[in-house]
Amino acid sequence: MDSEKESVPVEEGVEEDPRSMFCCLCKTGFFVSGETGASCLPPCRSLGETTSSVNCSNRPYGTDGDRETTRTRVLRCCRGRWVIIMAALKPGSVWDTPQVYKHHEQQSACLTRPKYREGRRLKAVKVYTINLESRFLLVQGVPAVGVMTELVQLFALYGVVEEYRVLDEYPAEQFTEVYLIKFQKLTSARAAKRKTDERSFYGGLLHVCYAPEHETVEDTRRKLQDRRRYVYRNTQRLEREREQEQATEKTTPASSETPAPSSVYEDRTCPRSSQEDNCSSSTSSSFPLLPLPPHERVHQHYVSSKDSFKSVKTVHEGSVPTEDRMGSLHNFIPSNRAPDDCKQTTQWSDLPSGSTFGNEERSIIKKPKHPPSTAPRFIPRTAQLENRKRKMEDSTDLLGVADRNAPLYGPKLPELPKMDMEDASLNKTANIIRQTMSKVASVPSEKKTTAVKARRRI
Amino acid sequence: MSGMDRFCASERFEYLQGLVTEFQDTDSEEAKEQVLANLANFAYDPRNMEALRMLQVTELFLDMLTEENENFVEFGIGGLCNISMDQECRDQILESEGIPLVVGCLSSLRDETVLSAITTLMNLSTAASHSKITDSAVVQCMLRFSLTQNPRLSNLATVFLQDYCSQEQVNRARELMEGHSQSAVGIPLPKN
Repeated sequence: MDSEKESVPVEEGVEEDPRSMFCCLCKTGFFVSGETGASCLPPCRSLGETTSSVNCSNRPYGTDGDRETTRTRVLRCCRGRWVIIMAALKPGSVWDTPQVYKHHEQQSACLTRPKYREGRRLKAVKVYTINLESRFLLVQGVPAVGVMTELVQLFALYGVVEEYRVLDEYPAEQFTEVYLIKFQKLTSARAAKRKTDERSFYGGLLHVCYAPEHETVEDTRRKLQDRRRYVYRNTQRLEREREQEQATEKTTPASSETPAPSSVYEDRTCPRSSQEDNCSSSTSSSFPLLPLPPHERVHQHYVSSKDSFKSVKTVHEGSVPTEDRMGSLHNFIPSNRAPDDCKQTTQWSDLPSGSTFGNEERSIIKKPKHPPSTAPRFIPRTAQLENRKRKMEDSTDLLGVADRNAPLYGPKLPELPKMDMEDASLNKTANIIRQTMSKVASVPSEKKTTAVKARRRI
Repeated sequence: MSGMDRFCASERFEYLQGLVTEFQDTDSEEAKEQVLANLANFAYDPRNMEALRMLQVTELFLDMLTEENENFVEFGIGGLCNISMDQECRDQILESEGIPLVVGCLSSLRDETVLSAITTLMNLSTAASHSKITDSAVVQCMLRFSLTQNPRLSNLATVFLQDYCSQEQVNRARELMEGHSQSAVGIPLPKN
């Protein structure tokens, strides 16, 4: 590459300013050179302007070939003379001597991830952006046993391969070759990379990476435009789907009723889902009051079986941290009695108006919405639980508040011993005072209590 | 990406929420990096945009740009690059005054960071924000990038100059640069 630079006549005395790339005279001309020649191009080829008429006496190479227009380097025209700027240092064309870039290296996989965010394949800690992606793939580690055809056939499985070439100059391990493969589409390249990276191929282990440095400006531009368009189209589509879901759910509430009981449950999990209440109920459907992890499993099944229910997303719009989510399971129950919580009220705004139902009536609230066939099994049980808990609390609370705030799950602290006043009458009085205290305390903290109670089941 | 195919939106949200929570709660730099990278990669998929938007992940990414740890910056701007493809997220970033922070990343010595920053700037370009994005300093910087040896950088900068700047802006920036060329040359370019 250096030799190329020397071979290009650079006008002496002209101030080398590598930061300008327009012709000093015409202010429009890009000068581009290719592997074998150079040509004068208008600044924006995409605009379809014709070559500007700059008289360049000192053209380094010949004029337009057919290849060089696509594989270009920016040169500069200075006082009527073309001067190569940096071009000699840059890999001028797609097939120039390749450089080894950092993104070609395989980073070591991360072994310290906790289970929940450990994918099925070990991966390095790395962020992919559109800049890193490309329809050019660099394939390293191809055994040098004359399997080019097979390699190209393998990659052609994932899309149309426009060009391919072995990169002889690219530093490779012994007895292996490095190939550059140019797909027609970025998506093909992406699929191919996913599927072929770290695969064995005729006894060698392939390392496949993107090679965006082989793109032309036009490639880069198109890549970005495509990406933006893709994201835009998809977000629109998702939006539409969601709206449709909402619409269908609202118009035909009966159709979504089968999965009733769970829906109740689900509703409670996502406090602010007021408008999407209906969708959520349909989606979450058909699983009983299961503990959370299995719940997700069921959910998954359900979704897979009914693809149409993609609208759940909306359910969690603006929903709050997990803790809250758990808590809100129960907010639901007292919310009927204490509708002061705004979340709850919005949540239940869809329900048949009755904000003053007892525990037992909850089932009734549900019933109009969902078929009774599935419902009754669970509601009495929760109601029972509620009642039992309340009784227990009433009897054990010494000073109400403290105990109510204590978590009810997990090991409990030993109960405070009731103080013996050593006199029957005094003891009686003390008990009455305790009970009164617990009653008084129970009124405002009602909500909290139930929230805590609720967690028990989880 | 396809690994998340089988998950519905609510599960997605919960999972991402878990990531954000871990990021905020953990004291381990390593875990932070991993989670940040996860989030940035999830921002690539349009299906996650809504959840990420609700979780204010754009703010999280923007916060990372001022971190000292270069990895945080790289992942943060990578995430912004991905998430700013979405128009609503873009607006969110613009509302939080993200442009100066992103422009700051152009001075990074890591080329991935610089590349992400350029793409992010292109994504952030709207009628209202255009003047800020094509500030003369930025245009000068792009001019310089467009002439580096790194083809990815020069390609991207060229696209920026051609598609987002007017010819006048470019000419003006060029003249300004020629005025004090020596000082401009001194600015380090990102390494490979």
